[in-house]
Amino acid sequence: MAISIDNIQKTLDTKDIYLKFPEIAPTTYTVRKIQLSPCKVGCPIDTDVKAYLGLIAVGKFEKALEVVKSDNPLPGICGRICVHPCETECNRNEIDQSLAICSLKRFLADYELKKGRAKHKPIKSIKKEKIAIIGSGPAGLTAANDLIRLGYKVTVFEELPVAGGMLYTGIPEYRLPRNIIKTEIKAIKELGVKIKTNAKIKSLNKLQKQGYNAIFLAIGAHKGLKLGIPGEDEFEGFLDCITFLRAVNLKKKVKIGKKVIVIGGGNAAIDSARTALRLGSDVHIVYRRSRKEMPANEWEIEEAEKEGVKIHYLASPIKILGEKGKVVAVECIKNKLGPPDASGRRRPVPIKRSGFKIEVNTIIPAISQQPDISFLPKDHGLEISKWNSFVVDEETLATNIPGIFAGGDCVTGPKTVIEAIAAGHNAAKSIDRCLQGKPLKEKTKLYERVEYEIVIEPKERKERIPMRELSLNRRKNFKEVELGLTKKMAIEEAERCLRCGLCAECSECTPDCDKRLVALSIPGDTSGMLLRVPIDHSKFPLNGSPLQGKLSWADVKEVPVIMEPITAKVISDLCRGCGDCEEVCEYSAPKLQACGELNRTTCGEISRTTCGEPTSRTKQENGVKICSIEESLCKGCGVCASICPSGAITMNYFSDTMINSLSMKSAAETKIVAFVCNWAYPMTQDFETFNSIPLIRVMCSGRITPDFILKAFMHGADGVVGIGCSEGKCHYINGNETAEKNFEKARNILYTLGIEPNRVKLERLSPDEPEKFKEVIGFFIKNIKKKVK
Amino acid sequence: MATEIKEALQDIIKRTKAYNCIECGKCSSVCPISLLNEACLPRITVNKALFGAPEVLLKNELLWSCLSCSLCYERCEFDVKFHEFIRDLRIEAYKIGQQGIYAHNGAMQSVMKMMTSPNLKQNRLTWLSKDLKTHDKGEFLYFVGCLPYFDAFFTDLELDTLNIAKSTIKILNHLGIEPVLMPDERCCGHDLLWTGDVENFKKLAQHNIEAIKRTEAKKIITSCPEGYYTLKEEYPKYVGKLGIEVIHISQLLSEKLSELEFQKPITDNRKLITYQDPCRLGRFSEIYEEPRKVITAIDGIELREMERNRKSAICCGTCGWMGCGTYSKQIQIARLKEAENTGADLLITSCPKCMIHFKCAQSDKDVDKKAKINIQDLTTLVANSLKERR
Repeated sequence: MAISIDNIQKTLDTKDIYLKFPEIAPTTYTVRKIQLSPCKVGCPIDTDVKAYLGLIAVGKFEKALEVVKSDNPLPGICGRICVHPCETECNRNEIDQSLAICSLKRFLADYELKKGRAKHKPIKSIKKEKIAIIGSGPAGLTAANDLIRLGYKVTVFEELPVAGGMLYTGIPEYRLPRNIIKTEIKAIKELGVKIKTNAKIKSLNKLQKQGYNAIFLAIGAHKGLKLGIPGEDEFEGFLDCITFLRAVNLKKKVKIGKKVIVIGGGNAAIDSARTALRLGSDVHIVYRRSRKEMPANEWEIEEAEKEGVKIHYLASPIKILGEKGKVVAVECIKNKLGPPDASGRRRPVPIKRSGFKIEVNTIIPAISQQPDISFLPKDHGLEISKWNSFVVDEETLATNIPGIFAGGDCVTGPKTVIEAIAAGHNAAKSIDRCLQGKPLKEKTKLYERVEYEIVIEPKERKERIPMRELSLNRRKNFKEVELGLTKKMAIEEAERCLRCGLCAECSECTPDCDKRLVALSIPGDTSGMLLRVPIDHSKFPLNGSPLQGKLSWADVKEVPVIMEPITAKVISDLCRGCGDCEEVCEYSAPKLQACGELNRTTCGEISRTTCGEPTSRTKQENGVKICSIEESLCKGCGVCASICPSGAITMNYFSDTMINSLSMKSAAETKIVAFVCNWAYPMTQDFETFNSIPLIRVMCSGRITPDFILKAFMHGADGVVGIGCSEGKCHYINGNETAEKNFEKARNILYTLGIEPNRVKLERLSPDEPEKFKEVIGFFIKNIKKKVK
Repeated sequence: MATEIKEALQDIIKRTKAYNCIECGKCSSVCPISLLNEACLPRITVNKALFGAPEVLLKNELLWSCLSCSLCYERCEFDVKFHEFIRDLRIEAYKIGQQGIYAHNGAMQSVMKMMTSPNLKQNRLTWLSKDLKTHDKGEFLYFVGCLPYFDAFFTDLELDTLNIAKSTIKILNHLGIEPVLMPDERCCGHDLLWTGDVENFKKLAQHNIEAIKRTEAKKIITSCPEGYYTLKEEYPKYVGKLGIEVIHISQLLSEKLSELEFQKPITDNRKLITYQDPCRLGRFSEIYEEPRKVITAIDGIELREMERNRKSAICCGTCGWMGCGTYSKQIQIARLKEAENTGADLLITSCPKCMIHFKCAQSDKDVDKKAKINIQDLTTLVANSLKERR
């Protein structure tokens, strides 16, 4: 990929990009990557954190948002309420303070909200299968977003009157304003996902009979657990946190008393407490362990305390006291911490005779939640755990019934939004594999998680930019507390990123490779490709299989075509494991894998006393390696093929066999063979041939091998012309230089064989100069014809 | 079709004594390829030929991966000529459209095929300078081989393969021989034969035999072991008797050692040299001692043998310009390290292809530092050590 120096200086620090061959190609840069960054490794959905941080730092907010959205359909939501494990992993923690990654994501979503965006075009469904998703929470929405992009028909069923699941009913407005949820769901709907609210599902069987080929259960965990202490069912004044938050969030009338006790220490407890506070009550939290063990996010606890919530640590309710049918007090007992339990936290041990009473009007238990599976008929047949959750295969999310998948809180119990999104991605992948008749289990994880070693020292210590917040006295309502970052703050914060692993992976240097290359051909016609077009890769299946499609142009009505992604292939017999491909690929598609190490056994020596085949054929990590290409990551740009020194990598549709057969035909029929680089090729209809000489397209002029030229002459050509991109315009690395070398080799050989070397010519042209193109080829043909006479 | 293949196979089994195989597996235990690639085992291949379906065998991976280095034959106690067995299978496979995967996109095969054209006017002797004395007719013919083509093609390896030809003539001149060089010499066809293309091999052989006869030479000297073996052993088998003696330059040199005058070394330090036995010269022709005799005759040189030498020497990793992949590289690097481990400063080989393959392996950017030993052809070493006459 040729990268202009301007671009580099604008976007990246020079430490990431370096001159690989300063003497040979002083304008060609190589991007250096070392390891995955810890933020990416920490994120359950492998978000390219470094990439969008890098782009924010240079003010490219739209591109940054694109990066975020490629992994996450809910950036505004995650930007507010994600528990951000990325920040925990951030290397900067060890220096001063981690990057404010979450806030920066929110900044991007806010930026778009403020600026407005064009309405999405609905995605055409190219697959006949229908998919039902039950539940419109983060898992369901993510799966819907992925599956609609794969071309399926997707319907989401939501029992409640609003979409969003726990996002809407569980998370209070002051943390996550409703318009944010609505906007992000709207974007998914625009793509063509149908979301039916007030649609309670009664039977999965019925759904299947209605023609849904796959079902994804993403119903969350919406049933609050009871305390299980005396008096609980006797008196009025109980409201479990889920019912309470749901009622408040759906703007229903909620009666709570003057004094409220929330029991529990998770995020739901804090949310309930802060919500009750906003409804005007005096709020206490009773938690059985100490603050250290409290599962709620530290920053949430802090805010609650700031706002006036009183927290009683190391206390458990043991009895509810009531009068006239109403709750009046809770009897509690004090605890001390004993040895750790199964969760690893220290177990609370009641202290004898330490009981105390708290007077109270309303009790909100927030101890834990389970999935509410009461909607299923008794004979549903799904395997259910003792926690009322669905039992699934951890890797594929498949339930025991084929075609039914489950993921998110309804499998794991209450967890985080980002984990639900990860489950949604995973479910979509599995459903796609299931419907395409592929085995469910196959590398679903593209990256190996690695221990991170390299930490780059920043130039200076600098703490993160603090989030702006609503002042305490203005919080007596449901207005959002966190106010987001300004542009200036966002840039300043993003600049703190250390860009661990060097390259920011922002893809700024490869604008043409954002899209996946697809070859179009007519079914049944084996003569080759019709067109090579870039297609947005998000719309295309990632598994590299061909698609049926239709094409229409001018007065030609819809012609059926096959769309096949162009991907790199490795001829393993030729690969020498040099690793150049791994280094140049922006998408980590080529991977070097260890193969056998030369391993002499005692039998390796010629002697007549020992025999037998070698016994220890160990595969060793440090041995010579061989390249393989992960098809789902390959975008078909061809940079690896252009630099492969042994010619082991070829692109389908540009294979040597295909090019040689075209050249053989051309040599025999027209006596002139013309190879034209794809990127130098004027993409107009009248350029399929020139003066009836077929223009044979090659991936890069550097891939016009000496053998192409020799074979052309062997099959009777009088002349061979190659057209490459103009100077400095090679799409790949060193294409022009390699072409020069190859042509020189061919000329040398031809001369030795007694064929005039000037029958071979290499020209450089730009695709937007069709006139010059005609002139140059015309001149060459004329010259050759003169010679033959 | 199937019966034809079966008959051909029976014939090959007979000719190469594959029926002798007792499945001891000694072949697989020494095969450099099968040590790396478990899919390629000579024993299994022979077993398949004896008891399996020939159609499947002709599509076997080992068919094209075999280096034909003949290390297995050396080891076999029952005289199974596995290298010839593979070669003949390749010929059958080629007939039904099967092919190996060619390195350099097949450019070398193209050059060889183009040389079968009868009306070729090659420019193959343009490198001859005035100080190199040759004749159009005479007793000694120097068969140059593919060197001019290697020189044209391998421009980025800093090889100077033509130096081998120049050195050979220089040595011959030193011995008072002014050899005949043929401007219409063709490729000897070795690589076509070993990649299964026997038809084109025969065409090249025919051209060469006729051209050689026109020179009225009595002796053919080659500087390439493949040319030597092909002219001497294969031409009579496939095209008919040459009636002319074929000798490798190392044989001639060891015979005429007393006539060679070497320079006195400038320093007392002995130069340490190790020697790579090319398969076609060593195991194929059993010329082990002649090159060594020549090397040790040069003043100030000490020969240090690699751990695996002579009959046990390891191949340079690829043959017939086929499938030069990661396994080849591993064999090459391992061999180069073995050379380096002798403590020698220079690796001498007497085959231009060994040199090309080793130098190519050294040009890989991630190559082991211990594989960086300098490489030179035997002729270059000798020519550089000769005393200028007159």
